[in-house]
Formats: sequence, structure tokens, C-alpha cells
Amino acid sequence: MSNHSHDAQHPLNAIEHAEGNVVLEGIKAIAQGFATVLKHHPREAVTLEYPEVMPELSDRFHGRLSLLSKSDDTDLCIGCQACARVCPCDDLIQIDMHRDDDKKPVVTRFTIDMGRCIFCGNCTEVCPVDCIKMLSDFELADYSREALVLDKKDLTLSGQESDEWRAKRGYTPTVL
Amino acid sequence: MMSVKELNPELQSNLPGVSIEAGFDTNDLVVNIGPQHPSTHGVLRLVTTLNGEVVKEMEPVIGYLHRSKEKMGESRSLFQYQPTIDRVEYLSSFYDHLVFVNCIEQIADIPVPKRVEYIRVICLELNRITSHLLWFGTFLLDLGASTPFFWCFRDREEVFTIFENLTGARMMYNYFRFGGVNNDLPAGWLEEVRAFCNHFPDRLDEYEAVATKNPILMDRTKGHGIMTKEFCLKYGVTGPALRATGEALDLRKTNPYSVYNELDFDVPTHTGCDTYARYLVRVQEMRESIKIIKQCIDKIPGGDGGALAILKKEVEAKTKEAKKNPEIVVPHWDKDWDTMGKKINLLTYKPPAGEASNFVESPRGVLGCYIITDGTPKAYRIKWRGASFSNLSALPELMKGHMYSDLMAIFGSLDVIMPEVDR
Repeated sequence: MSNHSHDAQHPLNAIEHAEGNVVLEGIKAIAQGFATVLKHHPREAVTLEYPEVMPELSDRFHGRLSLLSKSDDTDLCIGCQACARVCPCDDLIQIDMHRDDDKKPVVTRFTIDMGRCIFCGNCTEVCPVDCIKMLSDFELADYSREALVLDKKDLTLSGQESDEWRAKRGYTPTVL
Repeated sequence: MMSVKELNPELQSNLPGVSIEAGFDTNDLVVNIGPQHPSTHGVLRLVTTLNGEVVKEMEPVIGYLHRSKEKMGESRSLFQYQPTIDRVEYLSSFYDHLVFVNCIEQIADIPVPKRVEYIRVICLELNRITSHLLWFGTFLLDLGASTPFFWCFRDREEVFTIFENLTGARMMYNYFRFGGVNNDLPAGWLEEVRAFCNHFPDRLDEYEAVATKNPILMDRTKGHGIMTKEFCLKYGVTGPALRATGEALDLRKTNPYSVYNELDFDVPTHTGCDTYARYLVRVQEMRESIKIIKQCIDKIPGGDGGALAILKKEVEAKTKEAKKNPEIVVPHWDKDWDTMGKKINLLTYKPPAGEASNFVESPRGVLGCYIITDGTPKAYRIKWRGASFSNLSALPELMKGHMYSDLMAIFGSLDVIMPEVDR
């Protein structure tokens, strides 16, 4: 019972008294509630039986980071450090690069600590050669933190996979 | 305020001539509620002094979720700082982004295309629905009704899928940019939103059929936690809690920002001032949001993203050709259809020195941001004003004299989110 139920002069009770029998109204409301719950039984379930049934993810999904390659399997990354500079997590992306005899950039080390990544997508937005991109892969669990630090070999996609990614997302790379 | 005598007249009559205070040794009992309590929706500790079952005094202890949101902005470039804003008010993070980008747009005087404004309003109002849905589910869960909780999550997931198709993330969107948005609408996105808007009011009717007239809910909320207009103004309580006192303060109407002055909607108010009134205002707000989104879908310049993307590619290609060959006709492209008002290199972006403040109506109340920039990529100072902090500060006085069992109903009706309180 509410604290004011014994007080008919209470302004909030005035409405209840005007409406008539509170008990009857209450029973009606509860019955209506039960009827609504029962309506749900013939409806289809909205849950998915993961991992047997996988969700349909959008093309823009923020999943695991990866480095795309050129169609001939050579590196696309130029080691410009743009992704490392816009990353909100300190030292998440680490890149070592030098220039070879033809002054072409050679990336010797590229590591991403996926365990600390917040999947914001900042790096993918500033990449001048559209190299660092996000995949739809979201199953990233592993047995140790060290295993989540992905090096260049883990991150790089083959030329064929990169082409498939570009075709699927309708991407025209800036530089190839 | 009521004393123990008023609360239990039956017990009083069983002990003739003896007042309850005198009959029992009523030493005050200090109870620590939290910090880990399922109903506090975060990490909140309430040091409560109880007299029997009546709350005598209450002191919220906050700061468990402090992550130095403001200081982080001073050590990171503006674009680097942006994803971290999402993590603070995670139930309606579009609003935090809007305030932030609006401030920079004011400082740097960046124009915002019409299409962007409409995309933003659709996102904001959908976000208001998801935020209110979570409140609806947890509020009723605190009162013992577990069924609506699952229904709310079902519908929230539906909106999150819509968001995921647009931004790539379900909760941490990082979508708004200075003078625009990250990406244009994907093909068919507006139809997804329209389909949701068409069936959601029916779902809302179902929620209301279960809860609104339920006698248990009404008994536990009507007449409890009464906040008058003066009380709200004293504590700076805003949002649905203030509108439940009859004061129609909604920045979307009183200080229209974005394109809200072009849209037709009402500000739901109620004069009940109690927990039940706050419940009714929020449910009504969800209906108004649907009304706003439907208008935006009809009015958005450029329409759906699919056809517009093809046109944009054609225009870009033809413009390039037209430079060499002036006979080529470039198709018409309206400035309103752009997704960025001004081309900005986010890597090296430096806003000019200046200061700006901005306020919007978030699902919880007035949300504000004040930024000072000094011509470097970083902000000199960022100050946030979250509605949750002010709304929570009213709780101790609100709870005085109430039963302990009413705490979760009253606290739930304030719709406080702890990360925003601690920042």
C-alpha cells in the first residue's frame, strides 16, 4: 500500500478515487500485462545460436586491424607513422622503417597490441595509402597477452585477400 | 517528510501509548550501499544512515570511475582525443561527440552542410531511444519486473545494428567530425531506420501495456521522490526530471541548435513531480523522438546514400575531365549534399586560438562542453558539464525521510550514469 492510501484528501489520491474502484482497475491492468506477455510466445526468437549461426556484420564493422598489400603481394605500407600518431592509446602501433638505395621506404617492423586496441578506427581514416584497415573478424580471444601483440606477418593480408577486401567494400585505393 | 509514526499506523495501534521511538532502542544504523551494487548502474557508494527503515541521511561517495577525461584532452590532439569521449557517457555517446565537434566548429568557424545536420539529428534521436530503453528496462528491473528488460534489449540491439551499419561500431561510434561526419549513409540505411520507426511505436505500446497502469508500479512510484521545480533549479537538475515538474526546459526547443527549429515536435511535460511523472515523461519522449526521425528521413537533402554515392563519383570524375575538355557537362551537385563542410587533414589539424562553449539536450539533461584552444593541435583546457552529476547531487535530500526500499525506485528514476558523474 502506498503511504498516502489512507488519506483521501491527498491530491494524488483524488485521481484514483475519481476513477472508481482501484482494485478492479489493478486487476484489469495486470490481466492486460499477462495478455501482452502471452502474445510473445508464437513470435520468432531474436537470439542467434552463436557460434553455429554467425551474425551478419556490416561492411563498416570495426574488427581486427590488418595491413593490405598490393595485388602483387608487395607491401603497401610506407611507414609514415600517421596511424601511430592519431592512435589514442599510447604506443599501441610501433613501426620501424628505413629507406633503401632507391629511397623507397622499407618497413622492417609493424606491431599492433590488439589487447589494448579500442577499435576506434582513427588509424584507418588517416592512412594516406589506404593500407591499414579493419576486418570483420571479431573473435580475437587468446591464451596470453603476448599472443595479442600482432607483428607484421600476422597483420599483412596477401594480395588476393586484399583485392577481395577492396572489391567487397567498393574501395578504390589512393595509391597502388 | 514523514516520521516513523505515520509510516506504520497498524504497529502504532498495537502498542497503545507507546511511541515506536520509545518502544525500541532506535540507534541509527549506518549502511554502506555499494560500491558494487547491481542497482547502482555503475560504481556508486551510498553511505546511508538509517533510522529503522527510514533514510535519515545519505552521502554519495563518487570517483571510483574517474578516468581524467578532461586532462586526457590536454595531452592528446583533438582527433586523438575524440574516441575517448565515447567511453565516458557510453549510453548516448553521440551527444558528447556533438557537443565536442560543435565547439571546434564554433572556434574554427567551419560550415556544416545541411545533410550532415540531418544525419546527426537522426543519430541523436535514435541514440535517445536506446538510452531511454536501457533506462526503462533497468528501472523496471529494479522494481522487480524482469520481462520488459529483455524486450528493451531486443529493441536496443535492433537500433545498434542500424548504428553498426552506419558507423561500424555498436556503442563507441566515433562518427562525427569537425564540420561533418566520418562516412556518408550506406545504401538502404534510411529504409532500415524507417522500418524501425514504423514498428517501434507498437512495441512501445506493449511496454506500456505491461507497466504503465500496473498497480504495483503505481504504488511504488506515485507520490514518491517528489522534486518540485524550485528544488530542481536549486540543484541544477535538468532533463526529463525537470520536465516532470511542468517546466518545459528542453534546449532543442528553447535554444534550437542543429536543425531542430525546422522540425515539428512537442516537449513532453508532466506536473506530477514524482517518480511516476518522470517515468511518463521519458516514455513520451521516445514517441517524440520517433516523430522527429520520421520527419528527418523525409526532409534529408540528397536522400538515400546509395544513389548519392554513385552521383558523387560521377561528379568527381566529370569535374576532372572538364578541366581538360570544357565541353563536358558536370551533373548538378548541391553543396547541401556534402558530408564535410570543409576539407580537414585530421592528422595535422590545428584550430585557431579561441574558446567556445556549447550545450545540448542529452537524454539525461543538459550536456555542455567548454574548450579553450591555443593554436596547437591540442586543446588548452576542456571542461565538461554532465547532467548525471547534478542529478545525482539531488539524491541525498530527495531520499531523506523515505523508506530504504524506495531508494532504487527513486534513484532509478533520476537515470544517472556513473562514468559521466566521475568522468
